Amino acid sequence: MKACRKCHVLTNKSICPYCGEPTSERWQGYLIVIDPKNSQIAEKMKIKMPGKYALKVR
Amino acid sequence: MTKIFVIKTQVGQEENVANLFEKASRRTGKIYAILAPKELRGYIFVEGEDIETIKRIIRHMRYARDVLEKDIKIEEIEHFLFPPSAVANIEEGMIVELISGPFKGEKAKVTRIDDAKEEITVELLDAMVPIPITVRGEQVRILKKEED
Repeated sequence: MKACRKCHVLTNKSICPYCGEPTSERWQGYLIVIDPKNSQIAEKMKIKMPGKYALKVR
Repeated sequence: MTKIFVIKTQVGQEENVANLFEKASRRTGKIYAILAPKELRGYIFVEGEDIETIKRIIRHMRYARDVLEKDIKIEEIEHFLFPPSAVANIEEGMIVELISGPFKGEKAKVTRIDDAKEEITVELLDAMVPIPITVRGEQVRILKKEED
C-alpha cells in the first residue's frame, strides 16, 4: 500500500483518490479509523473519514 | 467517552492483528480505532467501549495474545500519533556514526539535511577522498554536536 503525502490515507493508487496529491511507498505506523465521530484518536489526528492511515509519510 | 486498550500481539504481526480487529468490529461494533505504531513491537492499541468486547474478539484471534486489564489515556499514546522527524536533532557539521548499511560503524560529518525525505548527506571521516553519501536519518547516531 501507498500513503498520501498530504492526508496520509493508505491506497493502492499512485495519486490519492481524496486529495489528488502523489502517494509514497515510504510510510510508517498504521492507523485504522472505524468511527471517526466517536474516536478520541481520530479527533486528535483531525481525521473525519473512516479508513486506513499512515502515521508518517516521506 | 471511549477507552484505549493495549493488546499484546505476536511480534511482527501488529498490522495483521489491526486488520483482524477491523474485520471483527464489523460484527461486534464498539470498536472505533486501531493503532499500530512502528516503534512498538508486540503491542497495538484498540480504542473501544469496554474490555469485554475486546476479550471476546481476541479469544479466537490468531496472533493476538492478551489485553491489558487497565485502559490508558490518550495522552500516553500521543507521541506515537505524531512521530518526530528522524532528522529533528541533526544539524549540519555534526559528527555522526553510521549504525546500519554498508558503512556501519564508520564516523562521518553531516554536510546536508533533507527534512522532507528525512535523509542526510554525510562525508566519511576516514575516507581518503570525501565522497558524499546520502542515508536515512534513523541510520545514524549523533556523536558530537560540532566538529572540534
